[in-house]
Amino acid sequence: MSVVVIGLSHRTSPVGLRERFAFAEGGIPGALQQLRDSGLATEAAILSTCNRVELYVATPLAPDEAFAALRQFLVTHHAYEGALGEELYSLAEPHSLHHLFKVASGLDSMVIGETEIFGQLKKAYDLAFTHKFTGPRLNKAFQRAFNVSKQIRTETNIQRGSVSVMSAAVELAEKIFNSLADHEVLVIGAGETSEKTARAMLSRGARGVVVTNRSPERATALAAELGGRAVPFAQWPDEFEKIDIAVSSTAAPHHILDRAKLEPLMRRRQHRPLLLIDIAVPRDIDPAVSELDNVYLYNVDDLQSIANEYLSLRQEEVARCEQIIAEKVAALLAANSYLVPDGRG
Amino acid sequence: MAWFTDRHCFMLAVLLYGASTVYSVFLWRKGFRRDEWVNYFLLGTGVLLHTLAMTKRGLTLHSCPVNNLYEATTFLLWALGLACLVYALLPRFKFLAAFTAPVLFTVGVFALMPSLDPPHGPKPEFSGALRSLHAATILQAYGAFGLAAVAAGMFLMQRHDLKFHKLRALLSLLPSMQRLELITFRLVAVGFVLLTIGLAAGQQLPRHAGQPYFSDPKVIWSALLWLVYLESLVAYKYLGRPSRRFAICIIASFVGLLLTFWITNLFSALHNP
Repeated sequence: MSVVVIGLSHRTSPVGLRERFAFAEGGIPGALQQLRDSGLATEAAILSTCNRVELYVATPLAPDEAFAALRQFLVTHHAYEGALGEELYSLAEPHSLHHLFKVASGLDSMVIGETEIFGQLKKAYDLAFTHKFTGPRLNKAFQRAFNVSKQIRTETNIQRGSVSVMSAAVELAEKIFNSLADHEVLVIGAGETSEKTARAMLSRGARGVVVTNRSPERATALAAELGGRAVPFAQWPDEFEKIDIAVSSTAAPHHILDRAKLEPLMRRRQHRPLLLIDIAVPRDIDPAVSELDNVYLYNVDDLQSIANEYLSLRQEEVARCEQIIAEKVAALLAANSYLVPDGRG
Repeated sequence: MAWFTDRHCFMLAVLLYGASTVYSVFLWRKGFRRDEWVNYFLLGTGVLLHTLAMTKRGLTLHSCPVNNLYEATTFLLWALGLACLVYALLPRFKFLAAFTAPVLFTVGVFALMPSLDPPHGPKPEFSGALRSLHAATILQAYGAFGLAAVAAGMFLMQRHDLKFHKLRALLSLLPSMQRLELITFRLVAVGFVLLTIGLAAGQQLPRHAGQPYFSDPKVIWSALLWLVYLESLVAYKYLGRPSRRFAICIIASFVGLLLTFWITNLFSALHNP
């Protein structure tokens, strides 16, 4: 009996193929039952996310035999008629366990170190466990994977920092202001990125949101969605006295805020610190405003380079994480409780 | 252990401040990224030895050990070190120790100059509760001003990094700019209150006939210092002085204090009877 993995992920296949093999959550217990009934698996769990579809199976078959059967199962189950090559990977022990630990720790994710996959894997395991499709092997393997993931997050910097433009903006705000709870955010231009940034600020406790947009309907709708208030586009400069963070993403072909306009506004603000996030292309805010004292201006490139730097720092941590995983896989495989979980081997 | 004097004890403390300074350079080069206790431990042990040195001297003199320049300087540094250890316990303030250690080390080395600690008789020239209160509160005020200057330095570094998009601003485990600004203001305010109490206590001290209080160089210097800090506090709180200028003023005031403290003391008849 050993644990094997078969699946496809963002590393091996395009989204079009991944969605063909995706499992709806409601269909997973049925698929697991099929696997068990076919004699292919004594224990099984299915992880199906937008970036990967993977079957974790404890099988009495020899790995090569199991891979061929599992491949056939996937193709049949999804009525897939196209050709399949390297897109589908299959791993036997110890590589299957190594892979599981990597997935749990976010090392195999599109954004290295992200934590969402941990929750998704836990959910996949819980579903299989609740429907009694897991047993001693998979229980041990998954529980160890969750522990390793926690250890990696605690002992390394793999999840440190903001790897998206929105979270980088929030992190900047938290480096300037003591607490976002005392500060309001002005959203100029109700675009998707500024909306996401405003949501990220709110999730970190920002006091409120003021939305302005050339089309007032869109501003009102977004303000209602975010629990904030809308102001007419012509009046947004008046809000500068009250707000401390402004996120701008209009489609204006020229700067809507320049030094001459901001200088008197800063005087009215009594030179309180002001964070300006300009995510518009072409830029909404004249870079010369950053020469003003207590004005902190970041454009989309600045935020992207922060996110990239964090990503490269995470890459540097991968070797440390791999080492921890290799040790933990070796320890698991050497453990009697894993090799002889129920006394039958 | 009679050979092991309070000066030896203080020397060991200064060595630890030196080790902490060297370690601080490594932390600075690494961008203050790791939350760790090594520097806090080095500084804490240094302050412990420093406390022991002052206790030994105090027990020998049977009074608060603030009777000559060496003692005054060590008291000032002790107040600074102790305040730093307390503030460093606040979230994200552990690196305050890294910024304070260089001040403690350099001024500590200076304080060890033998000429600052001339031998005095079995009893010090100054004694009494009011004198102790006067000296201790003023030196604690200087300690608070020193720590405020350290926090202001951290603020300027954070401000520079954020303004010029240095990744260190995000990677370092330093407090937010607003928090540093608040701590700086509070420390200056505390120092100012202590300085006011100390100066008021000094005025009540008995003097030789013909020694007017307000014409003594040290008193004039202290009054000027009091005015400088008052101006900084009022300008920042009520006249909208920008944070950057406030921080620069606080650092400049403390550097000025350190550079002129000894000179004015030497010329003071009240402090050199």
